[in-house]
Amino acid sequence: MKDTDWEQLLRQSLSSTAEPEESLNQSIISELKERNQIKHKYRKTLSAGLLAAVLLLVLSLSAYAAVHIYSPKQVAENLGDQLLADAFESKGAIQVNQSVDSGNYRFTLHGLVSGAGLSSFKHSNEDIYPERTYAVVSITRQDGNPMPKTSDSEYGEDSFFISPLIKGQKPWQVNIASMNGAYSETVIDGIMYRIIECDQVELFADRGVYLAISSGTKFYSNEAFRYDEISGEIQVREEYPGSALFDLPLDTAKADHAKAEAYLKELLNISPSKTSSNKDEEWMNWIQDLKAKISNGEKIGSEIPESVKEVSYDKSGNIIYTYNGKRVTEPPEQLFAEGETGFSVRRLSISGGDDTYTATLFHKDENGLITGRLIQLEKGFHR
Amino acid sequence: MNIDDLIELVEQHGKSIYRFCYKLAGNKADADDLYQDTFLKAVELRFKMNPSHNPKAFLISIAVRLYKNHRRKLAWRQRIAPTTEFDAAANSLDSTTSKATPEDAVISIELRTLIQDATHQLEDKLRLPIYMYYTADMTVEEIALALGIPQGTVKSRLHKARQTMKKALEVVSP
Repeated sequence: MKDTDWEQLLRQSLSSTAEPEESLNQSIISELKERNQIKHKYRKTLSAGLLAAVLLLVLSLSAYAAVHIYSPKQVAENLGDQLLADAFESKGAIQVNQSVDSGNYRFTLHGLVSGAGLSSFKHSNEDIYPERTYAVVSITRQDGNPMPKTSDSEYGEDSFFISPLIKGQKPWQVNIASMNGAYSETVIDGIMYRIIECDQVELFADRGVYLAISSGTKFYSNEAFRYDEISGEIQVREEYPGSALFDLPLDTAKADHAKAEAYLKELLNISPSKTSSNKDEEWMNWIQDLKAKISNGEKIGSEIPESVKEVSYDKSGNIIYTYNGKRVTEPPEQLFAEGETGFSVRRLSISGGDDTYTATLFHKDENGLITGRLIQLEKGFHR
Repeated sequence: MNIDDLIELVEQHGKSIYRFCYKLAGNKADADDLYQDTFLKAVELRFKMNPSHNPKAFLISIAVRLYKNHRRKLAWRQRIAPTTEFDAAANSLDSTTSKATPEDAVISIELRTLIQDATHQLEDKLRLPIYMYYTADMTVEEIALALGIPQGTVKSRLHKARQTMKKALEVVSP
C-alpha cells in the first residue's frame, strides 16, 4: 500500500461526523454563565471576611495577569503621537506609577515629561509658550466594571478634572484650563487613559506642584479640594468620593522663580474667570439700573404694542404669557407681592444678544388683571 | 480570557473537541461527559488562556488530562471492538461520497474497522497525537502545544503510530 493511500485511509477511518447535541452545548453555556456568577459571589463574601488582605493580593495578581496596563509610551502610541511616545521614554521623563483609591475609582499617575516640541500635535499656545508638560493618568473602576468605551453611550457620563495645581496659587485660578491645557483620552481593556498637557510646570518645581484628579466634573471643584490661603497647600477633602492629589516629583534645579512669576502675572491678568466675573458684575449692575428705572416709572425702551396681552392661567394657577414664539410660565406670587400693583420688578426677564435686548414686563392693575409686554431696550448691554 | 470568550469557543471549536472526546471515550455518554467537563475545567483555567494563543490546543490538552484522570479513577472500560453507533455516521458518509464500487465500499468498511481497532489499541503517547491529527484536525504545532512536547517528537510519534498500525493490519489481513 502506498503511503498516500495509507494516509487517506487513516484520515477517512479516523475522521468523525459526530457532533455535540445542541442541548448539550446550551447546557454547557448556561453552566459557564452560572459558574461565572458563583465566582463573583465567592469573591465578594471573602472580601468581607478576615481574609480581605490575602484576597486583595490574590485579586491584584489576577488583575495583573488578566489586564495589561499600558505604559505612557504605549498610551501615546495608541493615541497616534509617536513623538510624545518617544519623549516618555527619554531621559528627562519621570516615571511615577502611583495609585490612589477613592470613591469607586482607582487613579494612577503613570508619568510625565516636559519640554518643547515633544508632541506631534502642536497646541496653538506653543507659539507663545513652547515648553509644555505632558502627563499620563489612568482611571479604573473599583467595582470591577470596565470604564465605558469611547463608542459606548455611557462614555463621558463619568467626567473628570485632571490638572496640575501649584502650591501657593488659588487652584480655581491656576489650573489646566487657565494654563492653556488640553487632553486626549482613550479606553483600552476597560481602563481609561488620559494624556493631559499644559504650559510646562517645572518652572514651579521649587514651590511644589500637585496633580489633582476629581470625578463628577470637568472643572476645578471646591467640594473636592481644600485650599489653605495661609500655607498655600492644597488637600483633598476626604469626604468627597473620587478625588486624588499626587505630589509631582519635579527636579527643583529646573525651577525658575523669575520666569514663573512673570508667567503667573500674565496668566492672572488675562484670566478668563476674572474677565468673566467683571462682565457678570457689569450685567448685574445694568439689570439693577433697569429695575430702578421701572420702579421710578421711567421708560426703559420701546414697547412693542402688539405684544401687550392679558395673561392666561394653567391648572396650577401659573400665569402663561406667549408672544411671537416666546413663552413665559410663572407663579403670580413670584412677580407680585400680595396687593402689589403696577409693573413687576421682582423678576425681570431679559433676552437677546449682540447689543439688542428685549425685556418681558408684567403689569398688574387695581382689578388684579395681569398683562404682559415686550420692551425693546433703548441701550444694550455690551459684552 | 473571559466567560464570553469561552462561550465563543464552544461554538467555534465544539465539534472538533467533541469528536476528539468521542474517539477517546468510545461512546456517546462518556463523550458527552468528557466534552462538558473540558469546558467547565476551562472556566477555572481561563486566566491562563489567551484567545490569540491557540485556545483549541489548550482545550484539547484539558480533555486529555481529564480523560487520563477519569481512566485512572474509574477504570474506564476499554473497548476492543467499536460499537455500531461509533462508526455508523462516518462509514455511511464515506461510502456515499467515495467513488468506490459497492464491493470496494464493503472492503473499506472492514478496513476502517480494523484501523479503528488498531488505533484504539495503541498506547496513549501514540494514540493521542493520531486522534488529534486525524479526528480533531489539529496541526503538528497545535498538537505539540497541547501535549507540551516538541514538534519533532509529535512528527516521530505520528510516524511511529502509522507504522505500528500498518504492521498490525498486515498481520490481520496479509
